[in-house]
Amino acid sequence: MRYRTQAVAYPYFVVALLLYGLQMVFGILSITKYLGPDPLMGLLPFDISKEIHTNVLIVWVLTGFMGATYWLVPEESRTELHSVRLAYLQLGLWTIAGVTAVVSYLFHWTEGNKLLEQPQPVKFAIVIVMLMFLYNVGMTIWKARRLTTTEGVLVAGLALAALLYLPALLTFDNYTLSIYYRWWTVHLWVEGVWEMIQGGLLAYLLIRLSGADREVMEKWLYVIVGLTFIAGILGTAHHYFWIGVPSYWLFIGGFFSALEPLAFLGMAIYAYTAMRRSGLAHPNRLALHWTIGSAIFSALGAGILGLAHTWPSVNKWTHGTMITAMHGHMAFFGAYVMIVLAMITYAAPGLFGHDQESTESPAGVWAFWLQMAGMFGMTMAFAAAGIGQTYLERILGLGYLETQHKIQVHFLMVLGTGTLFTLGVALYLYDFFFLAPKRRPAPAAWPPAPEAQG
Amino acid sequence: MTKRQTRIFFLGSTALFSLIFLALTVDTHQRIRTLTHSGEITPAVIAGKHVWHRKNCINCHTLLGEGAYYAPDLTKIAEQRGAPYLRSFLTDPSKFYNETRDRRLMPNLHLTPGEIDEVIAFLSWVGKIDNQGWPPRPILVSGAAIPGSDVGGAAPQAASDDPVAVGQALFRQTPPGCFACHSTAAGVNVVGPSLSGIAATAAARVTAADYTGKATDAAGYIRESILLPNASLAPGANYSANGVSLMPPGFEQSLQPAQLDALVAYLMTLK
Ligand code: HEC
Ligand code: HEC
Ligand SMILES: [Fe+2]
Repeated sequence: MRYRTQAVAYPYFVVALLLYGLQMVFGILSITKYLGPDPLMGLLPFDISKEIHTNVLIVWVLTGFMGATYWLVPEESRTELHSVRLAYLQLGLWTIAGVTAVVSYLFHWTEGNKLLEQPQPVKFAIVIVMLMFLYNVGMTIWKARRLTTTEGVLVAGLALAALLYLPALLTFDNYTLSIYYRWWTVHLWVEGVWEMIQGGLLAYLLIRLSGADREVMEKWLYVIVGLTFIAGILGTAHHYFWIGVPSYWLFIGGFFSALEPLAFLGMAIYAYTAMRRSGLAHPNRLALHWTIGSAIFSALGAGILGLAHTWPSVNKWTHGTMITAMHGHMAFFGAYVMIVLAMITYAAPGLFGHDQESTESPAGVWAFWLQMAGMFGMTMAFAAAGIGQTYLERILGLGYLETQHKIQVHFLMVLGTGTLFTLGVALYLYDFFFLAPKRRPAPAAWPPAPEAQG
Repeated sequence: MTKRQTRIFFLGSTALFSLIFLALTVDTHQRIRTLTHSGEITPAVIAGKHVWHRKNCINCHTLLGEGAYYAPDLTKIAEQRGAPYLRSFLTDPSKFYNETRDRRLMPNLHLTPGEIDEVIAFLSWVGKIDNQGWPPRPILVSGAAIPGSDVGGAAPQAASDDPVAVGQALFRQTPPGCFACHSTAAGVNVVGPSLSGIAATAAARVTAADYTGKATDAAGYIRESILLPNASLAPGANYSANGVSLMPPGFEQSLQPAQLDALVAYLMTLK
């Protein structure tokens, strides 16, 4: 940790990781409900457990992004943060808003607009938090008079994310229009500005972990975010195929979605070449794992698997089936969960006061591989369920309920692999909260171990 | 390539594609009026949309294929099922489905009769949106569009003694095997014609000039179609041969009066 105020990242990471754990609880609950008779139906029906599962995901990933930004900006701008108090205040308000949303869902208070279910007052609180955050970061950079491309891309991504949340505040009488603008937030976040944030964080991590040349990395960063937006903006059309808008969106959606993997592929190549040139010498090998993993997993999940059903003549049959769940899980995990975990893993030793100390612990390694294996398995199980559903329900014309019954074994697989995944998450939390703080650096008198010099 | 050039590439392409997107959005706004029949968005439809959102239907169901995958797609449900059935279903889903048989049950959302009518109005409006013909073939809640593909499933039991529920279950049992020949999805004609909207069809048919049977109202027509298939023939070349219906005779003996009443009550909900 080079700047004292970078420490505000720590409480952000704590909140993010706790919510990550909570998200798992509701994920496991939701898939269990797929298996049939649901004893909790009166108390916590599927719609609520699923709504909490997805909302908590968005909240904790954003918390992670904000924590990561507070960690990164002082370092990049070579200054202390503008206001630590504001950062804490912001986290407090944000957590209250998040918890209020979850509790209100439990009491059936919802706006019922998929992923944007937050009750209106919570939505306003979110906007205020975003403004506080951008102000704090903006002032820091302004006072330092130093803005690197990496942090510029990251902060611009976050500012655009705030901007794109605004359509979520509007309501429309025409359902087609409300779908149309819902995707301005959801799609343009996930396949637009969040990718930009991922790109910024990836560039930072690669520069730090591999010592790659900043000029080169930042040059290619522009290319990657350029590709992201070329494909991503008009790629929104893949959500406009069957909702009652003109048919030109079919072709546009098919074509630009096909370009979407380019940016992700770019990121994978980016990470690979950086590592090849500079080697894997950094002592924080786990952070390296998460970083490279994010680049590769998002290329697979968001890039290739997305492509699997964005072509209109395919999507016509798979639209609204478990195929979407398959792509969604791997894409979100690869692109956003992994990059946040990479940042946390990278920053952890500094936050715990032992710079440069390797944090690789067996628990951390297991946490990584269990999550990888679990998510891979879940993706496969969702794919099998989705293919079965598409064939039986959509092509053969078997009833929805009968089909769900016939593909139940795949839901069991989701439950099994999901449990594996959750085990990985639990280990990650255990490592972060209990093991990592205790791994004190060797006393100063001792010569540092050779591999600890990075 | 220099960093300056790649920055220009990024800024330029983003600006360009944002502009295209905005221009298309303006055009979409214009065309959406006819595509979605925005003139038919009555206050009831809007109120129904609020019910849809507030009751979180989207986090179990899909509509226009969007939402969650825990429950069936409802894009065409109003047309498939008709308002009377939906009214009775939404009042108490457990009359028609049960958790041991179907593994899943829609919770009773305690909608008021007013809310039910509003959400039905909303769903009827959604069903008419011109959406490139999706879904390409009907998505059924339960049952099958083709005979024989439901093999292996347990014989459906009625979830309650409500006549409509009994009729619905009976319709799917073998015998009498009605659903092997009739789908309840619009436009899916198997051996017999789709019975989607049969109540309305029947009401129209008894008053038609070429009607040859003796029924005077829709329920009577349905009863007659089951008991005396040849009394009047449904239009369609493949449904009868030489004036003889392909619908099996003999239901008069094999169905008990209560069963017949239940079947008629159920079919009368398919408006
Ligand atoms: C907790 C999940 C859940 C929620 C919330 C939910 N449903 Fe359902 N719904 C189901 C399930 C599951 C079925 C399939 C039938 C069954 O097993 O009960 C269903 C079936 C239906 C059907 C088809 C019934 C038939 O036989 O054709 C309609 C119509 C329907 N729901 C409307 C709604 C509306 C309107 C709302 C919101 C006001 C809603 N649902 C909310 C789970 C849900
Ligand atoms: C072997 C196939 C077959 C079975 C089984 C069958 N039907 Fe039919 N059904 C037909 C055919 C073919 C027609 C069209 C010819 C006609 O009007 O009789 C028809 C017509 C009808 C009609 C009139 C439709 C109209 O548009 O006028 C009704 C109502 C009906 N069936 C109900 C039933 C019920 C209820 C059952 C179960 C008790 C049943 N069917 C079983 C083949 C079948
Ligand atoms: Fe998308």
